[in-house]
Amino acid sequence: MATQWIFLWLISSIGCLAADEVITIKGSQKLPHFTTCRSPEQETFSCWWSVGDYTNLTGPGMLRVFYKRSFKNTGGEWNECPDYRVGIENECYFNTTYTSIWVPYNLELRSENKDVLYDERSFNVEDIVIPDPPVNLNWTLLNTSQTGLHYDILLRWEAPPTADVAKGWITLIYEVQYRAVNDTEWKVMEHEKESYLSIYGLKTNTIYEIRIRCLQLNFDKFSRFSDIVYVYNFVPVTKESTFPVAFVLIFIVVGVAIVLMLIIFTRQHRLMMLLLPPVPIPKIKGIDPELLKKGKLDELNSILSNQQTYKTEFTNDDLWVEFIELDIDDPDEKLGHSDTHRLLSLEHLKSGKSLSMKDDDSGRASCYEPEIPEMDSLPFNVNLMEGNPEKACVLNSEGTVPNPDLSSPNATQAKAEPEKAKIESSGSEENMPVRPYPLIQTQMSNQSWANMDFYAQVSDITPAGGVLLSPGQQCKSEKTPEKEKPAEAKKYQFAMTSDSAYTSEIDAKKLSAIPATNENDQNPEKDLSKENCISTENQSEESPYTANETTVITMPPVSDYTSVHMVDSQHSLLLNPTAVQTKDMSMQVGYLTPDQMSSIMP
Amino acid sequence: MIIFQVSTWFFVLSQTWGTLGYPLECKDEQGSSNRCISIPLDKLFDRVIQHVELISRVSEECCSLFEEMLVPFPLQPKTSRGVNICITKAIPVPGSKSEIQQISDKWLLHSVLMLVQTWIEPLTYLQETLNRYDDVPDALLNKTKWVSDKLPSLEQGIVLLIKKMLQEGFLMTELQQTLTHFNKQPEVLESTLRDYTLFNCFKKDAHKIETILKLLKCRRNHKLSCLLY
Repeated sequence: MATQWIFLWLISSIGCLAADEVITIKGSQKLPHFTTCRSPEQETFSCWWSVGDYTNLTGPGMLRVFYKRSFKNTGGEWNECPDYRVGIENECYFNTTYTSIWVPYNLELRSENKDVLYDERSFNVEDIVIPDPPVNLNWTLLNTSQTGLHYDILLRWEAPPTADVAKGWITLIYEVQYRAVNDTEWKVMEHEKESYLSIYGLKTNTIYEIRIRCLQLNFDKFSRFSDIVYVYNFVPVTKESTFPVAFVLIFIVVGVAIVLMLIIFTRQHRLMMLLLPPVPIPKIKGIDPELLKKGKLDELNSILSNQQTYKTEFTNDDLWVEFIELDIDDPDEKLGHSDTHRLLSLEHLKSGKSLSMKDDDSGRASCYEPEIPEMDSLPFNVNLMEGNPEKACVLNSEGTVPNPDLSSPNATQAKAEPEKAKIESSGSEENMPVRPYPLIQTQMSNQSWANMDFYAQVSDITPAGGVLLSPGQQCKSEKTPEKEKPAEAKKYQFAMTSDSAYTSEIDAKKLSAIPATNENDQNPEKDLSKENCISTENQSEESPYTANETTVITMPPVSDYTSVHMVDSQHSLLLNPTAVQTKDMSMQVGYLTPDQMSSIMP
Repeated sequence: MIIFQVSTWFFVLSQTWGTLGYPLECKDEQGSSNRCISIPLDKLFDRVIQHVELISRVSEECCSLFEEMLVPFPLQPKTSRGVNICITKAIPVPGSKSEIQQISDKWLLHSVLMLVQTWIEPLTYLQETLNRYDDVPDALLNKTKWVSDKLPSLEQGIVLLIKKMLQEGFLMTELQQTLTHFNKQPEVLESTLRDYTLFNCFKKDAHKIETILKLLKCRRNHKLSCLLY
């Protein structure tokens, strides 16, 4: 009996102990639970709960809320809800005395006898702050656009009265949203710290609705939206609205045009260089390029003869004439320096036609500088060669020749240069025919200055190694009616002199540029027959050019002109390699060594 | 009569001395290496408050970033069952507006200063410990570093505020003795939870500093209306 009582007591005590434990009932039914906890202004807060499916617990006191705030180290003690508010929903309200921020709260929803815990919550009050919406929205019209289509407004509102923003206890930021009544989506403006906002670009004759909500700074819970305020601005539509558009367009077009004109005129050089690159025209210092055109050679010659700079050239006449006459008298010598002849001769070449040179010219057909010392009887001046195209040797030629290529006269000069050097070195007039580079001057001796053109195009190289100059020179003795077509198939003879230390590219190109003539055989005959007009002649045997008399190198048509690039130390002209265009055969640009040239030659 | 007028003038001027934000004269303390900055008090207040607002925002972003990083981890107690485990719990600041308004400027300012000083060390620790996490977002690292760098300057601002408002000298040595040094040893919490708690506590304290300073500013500018509850 006693043991039974003891046993019962034990069980009851155990049961009592068990009763102290929290029993959470779980099941298919919805338990009573906290719905939300909210603080509107960070000074008070409320928690609402619902009974769930346990409708029998609806009555007051059936469910109890207990809370605990933890202060400092102490866990705090559990207290019951200070204010049960009965309204639509069950609410527990905490006023300012019971509200502390920065302090963790624990709330529990228990049954009446505290045995059953239905729900619990923990939070800090500042985290559950959901402000009231802003109030007193109003707007004022700022301005209307000139077109009358748009307008701006200034929107003002006030903070919710509950929030103590003035003292700085809570800081709110606002979010404005607006839309036209017909729209489906709200336009959201940036968050605003102030209590006013300007909205720009609203359309007239359209109703807009605006609403605002706020949230606490650095937190994320938004308030409800404020009441909607309607904005409407009525502006009568006039047709004048289209006028400014056209006006503006016209103005823009005119303005752009003016700007372009200004650009062209003020930045003329740069733009003009871009748009219209300058076309090189033939130029001789002091000579109008107009005169260089076809049919005006006489004027040109007269000008040149009248010019002072060239007067001194006459002083060298005697020397030259001496020079030349000797040569001309000797037909063999003539052959010897047929190269220079060819280079300087201007007669256009047809079949069998040879260049005719004005024999009465005492060498002045070639270009020379006044600075040439008397001893220097060479018509060519080194200075000339060195890139002074305006003083380029002008050889008489008919209209076709004096076109803006300085390359050919330069080329011719260049060709003559080594000859000149040779001549100088030799110093003996009689040696002319022996020289590898016969003086071109010899051919010019018979030509008068006035009749000489200043440019000559090397159109062909005879098999004998003579250089045929393209037509353009008025040949006194012979007029060549035919005109050499520079595009004709060219054959030329090219014999690189072994005497020269080099073979200038000039030679190669000039020779290649010379239109081939089949009258190589005839040339020597013609030369001999003519005194004035000298065609390409066979070179003398001494001339290395004649080494391969009959050899003809068929070269594809190449450019007739090359421009003098520079003069090297050995008084040879370096032609601009880019001027040479070989179609079939790629000519080596630059110096051609004798070996290379021989390789080219058949 | 003239004397009366002059005396009233003196009286009025002295009363408004502090509230009008008249630029205070710059007085260099002996041995102080601080530059003498002359700035009106209200401007100084605005700047410090701006500073704190920014720190508060960044700390809130750090918290959310840290939470996102821990999403795969199931354990995410919000406030650890309501126990106040923040390191600054030793610095008692009341949590209601009315209570705070009853506290003097001096006490409030000193509390704020202590809060700032307490957090300098833990943030440096957080900066280092974040690198041990996998997949730590760069934004979190950058923000933590930014905040950690900004706290000393905030401290300077508050010291300056104390000087201006309370005309006190350099008192930092006194205050530091009362600080609770950050305990780097892991307590009962595991490291992830500890870091999470640190972030949350710092966010809360930043908000605390912000609110207190704003109340102080109001009190400074509108003495009467701000004291009224």
